[in-house]
Amino acid sequence: MTLKDKRSADIEIILSKYPTKRSAVMPLLYLAQEEYGYCSDEAIREVADLTALDPTEVKSVVGFYTMFFEEKTGQYVIEVCDDLPCALKGADAFVHHCERKLGVRAGQTTPDGKFTLRTVMCIAACDRAPVAQVNREYRYSLTPDGFDKMVDELKGTV
Amino acid sequence: MADLINLTIDGIPVAVPRGMVIVDAAKKIDNDIPVFCYHPKLKPVGMCRMCLVDVGTPKIDPATKQVVRTEDGKPVIAWMPKLQTACTTPVSEGMAVRTNTKQVLDARNNVLEFLLTSHPLDCPICDKGGECPLQNLTLAHGPGLSRFEYEAKQHNAKHVPLGDLIFLDRERCIQCSRCIRFQDDVADDHVLQFHDRGRHMEIVTFSDPPFDSYFGGNTTDICPVGALTTADFRFKARPWELDSTPSVCTHCPVGCNISLNTRLETRTGGHEIKRVMPRQNEQVNEIWTCDKGRFVHHFTRAEDRLTHPLVRDARGKLVESTWEAALQLVADKARGARVSGVIGDRIANEDAHLFGSLFSDVLKDGAVAMSPAIPAAYADIARAYGVGKDTDFKQLGKGDTILVVNGDLEESAPVWFLRLRQAVVDRGAKLVIAHDRSSKMHRYASRIVTYELGMAAHWASEQTTELSAELKSARNVLIVFGDEKLSAEGARSLARSLANILIESGHAGKANSGLLPLYPHANTQGVFDMLPATTVTTGKVDVAWLVGVGNAADVPQADFTVVQELFLTDIANNADVVLPALSFAERDGSFTSGDRRVQRFYRALPGLGQGKPDWWIIQEVAKRLGATWQYHGTSEVFAQMAQHNPYYAGLSYETLSQAEPQWPPVGRADLYYGGTAYDNSGGIGSRYAAPAEQSGFNSSLEPVVAPPVDMEALQHLPHTLYQDGELIRRSKVLSGHVRAQRKEAETA
Ligand code: SF4
Ligand code: SF4
Ligand code: FES
Ligand code: FES
Repeated sequence: MTLKDKRSADIEIILSKYPTKRSAVMPLLYLAQEEYGYCSDEAIREVADLTALDPTEVKSVVGFYTMFFEEKTGQYVIEVCDDLPCALKGADAFVHHCERKLGVRAGQTTPDGKFTLRTVMCIAACDRAPVAQVNREYRYSLTPDGFDKMVDELKGTV
Repeated sequence: MADLINLTIDGIPVAVPRGMVIVDAAKKIDNDIPVFCYHPKLKPVGMCRMCLVDVGTPKIDPATKQVVRTEDGKPVIAWMPKLQTACTTPVSEGMAVRTNTKQVLDARNNVLEFLLTSHPLDCPICDKGGECPLQNLTLAHGPGLSRFEYEAKQHNAKHVPLGDLIFLDRERCIQCSRCIRFQDDVADDHVLQFHDRGRHMEIVTFSDPPFDSYFGGNTTDICPVGALTTADFRFKARPWELDSTPSVCTHCPVGCNISLNTRLETRTGGHEIKRVMPRQNEQVNEIWTCDKGRFVHHFTRAEDRLTHPLVRDARGKLVESTWEAALQLVADKARGARVSGVIGDRIANEDAHLFGSLFSDVLKDGAVAMSPAIPAAYADIARAYGVGKDTDFKQLGKGDTILVVNGDLEESAPVWFLRLRQAVVDRGAKLVIAHDRSSKMHRYASRIVTYELGMAAHWASEQTTELSAELKSARNVLIVFGDEKLSAEGARSLARSLANILIESGHAGKANSGLLPLYPHANTQGVFDMLPATTVTTGKVDVAWLVGVGNAADVPQADFTVVQELFLTDIANNADVVLPALSFAERDGSFTSGDRRVQRFYRALPGLGQGKPDWWIIQEVAKRLGATWQYHGTSEVFAQMAQHNPYYAGLSYETLSQAEPQWPPVGRADLYYGGTAYDNSGGIGSRYAAPAEQSGFNSSLEPVVAPPVDMEALQHLPHTLYQDGELIRRSKVLSGHVRAQRKEAETA
């Protein structure tokens, strides 16, 4: 089943918002990512088809924006900020803790496919550092204990 | 037009057209501001910061809005607080530019130091080494030492195939985006892009098939480092070992100027073409070629080239012979006989002229024709109403109409496609297309007409009045046309209708207007111009004499067949005498392009085996038939021809070899734009006037009745760039594409 088959109504709505098809490339990529979990090669070609762009151009958009994933991610994507203000509040040590807890390096996915850990640039919540997004949802003022609890909870929910 | 802006660069006054950027203005006074991302043929992006200069403008008094002046009346310059990129800053009146301050010199030094932090510096094994802008500019402006940690250097993949023709070395790429911009803005094949950002930014292709473009080779020329290389040339030679000989591409009516880069090979004991590079001619190909022109050269040293005269022996086998015996045999057979001559349209003017003279002056009973035959049916109309002598594609734009009828510009004349596309997309010319199928050019058309297969001539004859009325108000009208799916009669009818449109709309015989025929090869017009009008003999003749016809479909039936060829083609294999000819790279000569530009090409390689140029072979037989010809070289043949052929009157090898300086300067004198082969030393050629622009020519309408659709012509495959042929089949890098296009054409 292609994206077109599965989400044709959403695709129509997105395309209708823009004067030219190519302008819809980002929202369509989000849609594809939602559907497939990441921007797979296949998804990129489908979006290229929908926007009448060359797949190379769509690939470039995916490559430029860090919030498009080019590889399969875990069910939960945990993105910890390690930019300067957060770093001053101990983000580096916090990231190490996360790595130990999950048993993977930043940038990797746990073998059970549950979690992907990533470090990211400032996500505009420096006042409540260290901070992370879990599937785009903010988690503020994180502590090692709080993180462990969160991970265990997320594990239990599935 | 002359809207000139005055500025000073390092105190030197210079006046340049409005809109020009500082880099180009400086070029006018030989001040070479170093650049990497800027290229005069591409839109500026200001990405690399190599071109930073100090810029100021006259200070304006806010109260009086007047220029503030010093006591001696000079305007006070308000210098901008930071350096500016000279490649994106347009000139303005009274501007002052400084390119030699300490701040500017430091900036250059720093940008280079930064670019080199992740550069592999593997110049000793880099194909670009010796003609590399990064190498040149580092020597001129760069630091001798780097402050960066050696260990922090990035290492990336070095042999990334972007397609089967182009390879990428990721470490060498300096992210200037010239290749991307060429593919996007010039070729319109969006097959290259950046991926990721910052220090991880790299060139990728994700197209299917990858890097699929007829123009990809050009990216390797404009890449300012050795990041992009061709499958043909990579690791084959160093630029400084190469000899460069001016030549002309033989594959299509554009007549791109090229340089043949050759080297003496100890391994094979002879000279070889190592690469084909574009040679700058702003009137013809600017600085581009298509990949066919670049990658088909291997046939010149193919192992199966004919090297000896062959004569059929008593047992019916073709066996090696001597020139003397073979020539004498041909002369004996031709003496007093009915001879039918056919000459291919890749053959040079000089050869065709002598072949024509043989039939008009030497042989008693004979007729001569060009192969393929269909273009010969309309080449006189294409010539008479061809583009005016002073036509310059760069001047086509707003107010002009380009009409493309019954042909695919990109497949048939790739570099015309590039140039006319720019006239439409960048400069606003109106494009109207009439064809039986779609083509890449259709993307830019403001009006598209689709007719049934084979109906081009009908369409044109029916539309003449209407189109002429519509085109009356156009500033210029350029009509590009092809002969696809048409018989000779049909093609002639089409050409005639199109000529009528030019006459009726008032554009016949004018510069920047006229017919532009999509001929099959480089010298269709030239060969046609050289041949006397003879009535074609039908039925069986005594002798068929075939010069460079390849595998032409319709060769005359004869008791005795002579073939002049490079290879033992099927036709040659059935001949009685086969005479080994020399390729265009092994001899001098001239071609006349589809827009009637006469251009010289020069000998780049020694002849292979005992091969001889076609003109020599023809002369030797003519001598044995009593002709008193004494030509020692093509220049003498050309001079004799120009005396008798009214179109070529006044042209000579001297006039054709004149090379005016080209703008923008990208050649040897300027190493920033890469490449040592751009320099046009061999001449830019000369276009002869179209008869319709000469006084006394009677441009009058002729009624046209389109002939019925020709069933046989409907079977002709549409022209594709990589269609199978004797030469392209021997390309070491394109043969896969030939197979693919053959498959495509057969299943279409
Ligand atoms: S490959 Fe060459 S032309 Fe393309 S961005 Fe890199 S350096 Fe520039
Ligand atoms: S456009 Fe035509 S003349 Fe130019 S390189 Fe290609 S085939 Fe040769
Ligand atoms: S630096 Fe981490 S949220 Fe701003
Ligand atoms: S920024 Fe001007 S040449 Fe690159």
